[in-house]
Amino acid sequence: MTLAIHTDSLSKRYRRHLALDDCTLAIPDGRIVGLVGPNGAGKSTLLGLVSGMIAPTSGSIEVLGHRPAVSPEQLARVGFVAQDAPVYSRLTVADHLKLGARLNPKWDQAFAERRIRERGLDLKQKAGSLSGGQRAQLALTVAAAKRGQLLVLDEPVAALDPLARRGFMRDLLDFVDELEVSVTLSSHLLGDLEQVCDHLIVLANGRVLISGDVSDLLAVHHRITSRAGDPNRLPADAELIHAENSRGESSVIVRSTSPVPGAEAVDLEDMTLAYLTRATTTGPVGPTRAMTEADR
Amino acid sequence: MIWLTWRQFRAQTLVAAGALALLAIYLIYLGSEIRSFYDTRIANCAEQACYLARLDLRATYDDAISIMVVLLIAVPGLIGVFWGAPLVTQELEQRTDRLVWNQSVTRTKWLAVKLTVIGLASMAVAGLFSLLLTWSASRYDQVIGERFAALSFGSRNIVPIGYALFAFVLGTVVGMIVKRTLPAMAITLIIFAGLQLLIPTAIRQNLMPPITDTVAVDTNVLNSGVGMNLKEDNTFDIQGYTANGSWALQFSSPLYKADGTPYRGEDAKPCLIPDDREASDACTAAQNLHFDYTYQPGYRYWTFQWIELSMFFGLSLLLTAFGFFWLRRRS
Repeated sequence: MTLAIHTDSLSKRYRRHLALDDCTLAIPDGRIVGLVGPNGAGKSTLLGLVSGMIAPTSGSIEVLGHRPAVSPEQLARVGFVAQDAPVYSRLTVADHLKLGARLNPKWDQAFAERRIRERGLDLKQKAGSLSGGQRAQLALTVAAAKRGQLLVLDEPVAALDPLARRGFMRDLLDFVDELEVSVTLSSHLLGDLEQVCDHLIVLANGRVLISGDVSDLLAVHHRITSRAGDPNRLPADAELIHAENSRGESSVIVRSTSPVPGAEAVDLEDMTLAYLTRATTTGPVGPTRAMTEADR
Repeated sequence: MIWLTWRQFRAQTLVAAGALALLAIYLIYLGSEIRSFYDTRIANCAEQACYLARLDLRATYDDAISIMVVLLIAVPGLIGVFWGAPLVTQELEQRTDRLVWNQSVTRTKWLAVKLTVIGLASMAVAGLFSLLLTWSASRYDQVIGERFAALSFGSRNIVPIGYALFAFVLGTVVGMIVKRTLPAMAITLIIFAGLQLLIPTAIRQNLMPPITDTVAVDTNVLNSGVGMNLKEDNTFDIQGYTANGSWALQFSSPLYKADGTPYRGEDAKPCLIPDDREASDACTAAQNLHFDYTYQPGYRYWTFQWIELSMFFGLSLLLTAFGFFWLRRRS
């Protein structure tokens, strides 16, 4: 099976700053991948490497089995909408469709025109005078009508209001079904991605904290709540991700492939936050203290 | 890709075409004026009338031609600043590189098409302007005969084509390095203007080894508008001599007597005949003076045009290669 995205020890350095650090990923084809992490986590760098806009400093990356942007064929396979959905402000909406048609052999003019009509965009309007949401729709239409196998969207809803975000995501799901493409999209808010993605990558400080299909991730993460002083019942292979104490109660999120007696299910948001908190807490202070309490 | 290049470049093309059309109308008018002046007053003129007609031709058309020359010299600079420099920087500044480089066209091809289409347009604009001016001023040049002069040489025939291509590619490459439009424009202008000053003053004359002849001072030489200058060490220089159609590489040159010693102040005394120039010149000519004259001969004019055109094409090619290297390294 071809992997949609396959990276091996992928790193990208900008002068002194290590934007992406030793990132190894294997993402199956046919997923909607959510890439989440705080600002500056390296999301745009990773997506730039996937689209071939930038080249890695070290390590390797293959997208749909080929090096990114290596040939016109490979460029045709991947549709990319960069952050802030850049468009030519002096060209009209119709010009952008023509640009897509001229520069992409598999261009789907009927699809593009239908989407533009459905989004209520005026073909004769200059792209520079579109609203943020309309511009995002135009850029997405150009990327999608290429009819590639993978659509990469960098922070597609960052400029949209909450209502428009929901609409954008619902619309995305619709045409993903229609076009049969894989999608990788990023956001610094898990809430944007939660409802659409079936594969999640959590990134912080240029490192991959966790990557996997959502159902698999939820199956192996558990929350254990106990009163202080209660004996702890962690299975031997459990990895402590995060612990917090409040009012004499301790709540622990662990990763364990074997069943944990007395554990509750954890939702995607809590799990993600647990990993992000662990990554951003300086040193092992938090978890260690939790461990001693749990040991007691 | 050609369509996109044209679409993004449409406004500039129309401006250039409009300006060129206006220039064409004016230059054709100017050219026919000069031609009728030439036909009526110079073509079959007698000696003294000829001299006056030449002065008159120069006085009448010098300003008009100078303005056109300055414009034509400026055109490549404008092309570099307004077509070259923004070519890549504008995509980077508006982040549209991320749009256009993700269509199914490699960025190598993107750059190749952009450079080819706009490079050809640059050469066409400068070439047409030069063709018009060369035609328009041809009678004037024929009479005045300063085709090696810095401004004349650079504004006639084929060299402006080379300047235009070079300036365009230079602007593009500077833009790639500087990444911001305004500084790229300024740097392009400075480099190009510097080169346009450096080449006529220091480089062009060395493109081929000059010829040095010994010229005997006869009445023809003395009548060609030269001056004799007595220097502080009491020896003479001859100043302002230019053999017909050639490019003199020095303004003044020491005068020597037949025995090879410098021509001194006391040697000239016998020939100082007040109020009789002809007698004075005849006396000086009889002294068998000579001087060294270093020059580029007039028949080399076209060789120089081709050398300079090739030189600028070569530089453009080097810069283009750098542009592709930059693009590859960036990916």
